[in-house]
Amino acid sequence: MSKPGKATGRHDGRLAVWLLAPSLAFVTILGAFPVLSQFVLSFTHYNMKFADERGFAGLANFARLATDTTFLQDFWQTVYFTVMSVGLELTFGLAAALALNRIGRGRAPVNTSVVLPWALPTVVAATMWSLILNDRMGLLNSVLVRLGAIDTPVVWLGPGLAMGSIILADVWKTTPFVAIILLGGLKSIPDQYYEAAALDGAGRWHLFRFVTMPLLRPFIAIALLFRTMDAFRIFDIIWVLTGGATKTETLSIYIYRVLFRYSDLGYGSAMTVALFLIVFLMSLGLLKIMKVTREPLQ
Amino acid sequence: MRKLIAAAAAGAVLSICLLAGCSTGDDGLIKIVFAAGQDPSGATAALIDEYNASHPGIEVTFQVMPANTDTQHDAYVTYFSARESRIDLYSLDVIWTAEFARAGWIRPIPDGLFDESEFLSGPLESVTYEGAIYAVPWFTDAGVLYYRSDLLEKAGLTVPETWSEFTRACRTVAEPAGITGFIWQGAKYEGLVCNFLEFLWSRGGDISPETLRDSPERAVRDVESTIDFMLQLIETGISPASVLTYKEEESRRLFTEGQALFLRNWPYVWSIAEDEESSVAGAVGIAPLPHAEGENGYSTIGGWNIAVSTYTRYPEEALEFLAFITGERSLNLRAIDGGYLPTRKSTYGDTDVLAANPHYAGFFDVFQNTRNRPRTPHYPIASDIIQENVHRALTGEFDSHAAAESIVTEMAAILSR
Repeated sequence: MSKPGKATGRHDGRLAVWLLAPSLAFVTILGAFPVLSQFVLSFTHYNMKFADERGFAGLANFARLATDTTFLQDFWQTVYFTVMSVGLELTFGLAAALALNRIGRGRAPVNTSVVLPWALPTVVAATMWSLILNDRMGLLNSVLVRLGAIDTPVVWLGPGLAMGSIILADVWKTTPFVAIILLGGLKSIPDQYYEAAALDGAGRWHLFRFVTMPLLRPFIAIALLFRTMDAFRIFDIIWVLTGGATKTETLSIYIYRVLFRYSDLGYGSAMTVALFLIVFLMSLGLLKIMKVTREPLQ
Repeated sequence: MRKLIAAAAAGAVLSICLLAGCSTGDDGLIKIVFAAGQDPSGATAALIDEYNASHPGIEVTFQVMPANTDTQHDAYVTYFSARESRIDLYSLDVIWTAEFARAGWIRPIPDGLFDESEFLSGPLESVTYEGAIYAVPWFTDAGVLYYRSDLLEKAGLTVPETWSEFTRACRTVAEPAGITGFIWQGAKYEGLVCNFLEFLWSRGGDISPETLRDSPERAVRDVESTIDFMLQLIETGISPASVLTYKEEESRRLFTEGQALFLRNWPYVWSIAEDEESSVAGAVGIAPLPHAEGENGYSTIGGWNIAVSTYTRYPEEALEFLAFITGERSLNLRAIDGGYLPTRKSTYGDTDVLAANPHYAGFFDVFQNTRNRPRTPHYPIASDIIQENVHRALTGEFDSHAAAESIVTEMAAILSR
């Protein structure tokens, strides 16, 4: 964009402020205000059902958080879910993107079918998986029994297997998102680089290692960042599949319980502040590790 | 410039109006809003229409709430916290009375609005909190034992009353037939609390505030042996391990597909089991839940009551409608058209009701021995304590003694708060 001239610039600027004002007001009301009030609430004792006992709590909610074994256990379960699902989604997503990038004709229908799981509302997808994974009437067990792989039905959402089943459903659902971002990245790499490298005698592996990967890195970083933040806040799939039973409860589900089921705004807000800080620090860390900066091509 | 400001201001005002839902006009009608879950039979809507037709100047409307009980609870909490005055009457799950009464969100029901002796004792207990009555029982629910009458008959067995007769029937009838013995609701959710308490009560145990205070060791022992008993059902193959993932519908489906001998579920299963599409139609019976030798079986009570909001602008009119909608005729009609189990005893003797629902006689027997879940303003926490510990013990994460100790100490702390 070229810079506007001085005379019209001031006018345009003022117009822009006025045009933006309503949306800015909304963002402030609907965005900043709730976030700030959450911070304020986290320093109070406030249960909606016992409003008469409302009062300043200082750091009491955070002290309680530090010794809350459920919070700690759910934290590690959330970490496990995030690492496993995001790791698998990146691997499969990259493979899918590389494959899709090679398809010449008939790309549109293939692309559409790949995106389909991601386009489904999560609750719908999760309900579908709960039917597939049902031990007595589910598709998965009936196929496995017919193939002779198992004798008795496996309780996929029972102890030991539940988290794995949830990760499977999430990977199925969200790999397309990663694939699409990475496919966009692949499309943005000019053919000339490959041609030049090939002329210099680079093989397939070297092309992938020294041309594709470095140029794809910013896209991987974006996918990783989005997915990690999303995965760490996972609620819906787990809510539908197990409700948080058998070691599958994540921080979001625990926070839902405290905030909504117990109407404990004070303690629940302290937990959301903690979750916010965790996700914030994690994102900063990821950005640093992935070194998302504009590096000149070497 | 000035035009621009005016436009922006108008835009802002318009958007705020859209957000807040600006209402206009007032035609002098007293508008009573009744919030409750959907009634697919239309019986409630018909009763409301009838009421409106005979009460000029009053217009009652039915606000349909989410079908999911927890979602409905959360919506109510939000309304009440905001002192919503637009809704006058709320239908409440039996476990919410103490919570909402303690919060000051619902009004005590004045004496004389209804005759307490005409109602079933379980639902009546559920509307009481600290000696006052906060709602009127509307319809009820309780845990029932469904059995395959054809299979028991073929084996020459009567309906088992004690747990030992019950397990024997599972071994001698279900195992040879290649079907599951006993299905119940063991997923980690509210239903597990109901199932667990029934198992506990049927063995002579309880976790009432008195027992927790006076003999906590006994309570620990009873809870522990109850969890062990539930574990045994799974270990001996009487119940499949997957009951620990079942809610009402998963368990119901197995039974109506003919894959189980016994099912513990709520009364709604009856009409599905007797439907043409059910593979067990005509081969199902209902009975009270089994109990240990020398003890009594009890069913956990469910169902809904109706309360008047503290924030209503029309308490008189709301109470008048409440008396109508929980009156004998209304309950009879909802029983006939919608199959909602009435809370008034007389309905179970009404010939029209029995003609439409012959099986109500069986349910009436079950309703004689019902109990409520702990009645405390902290019920959601109490429920989670039971759900967590029982489910973790059943899935092998905790041992049953540790789970029992946590339940008893944590429940005692909650109930004495």
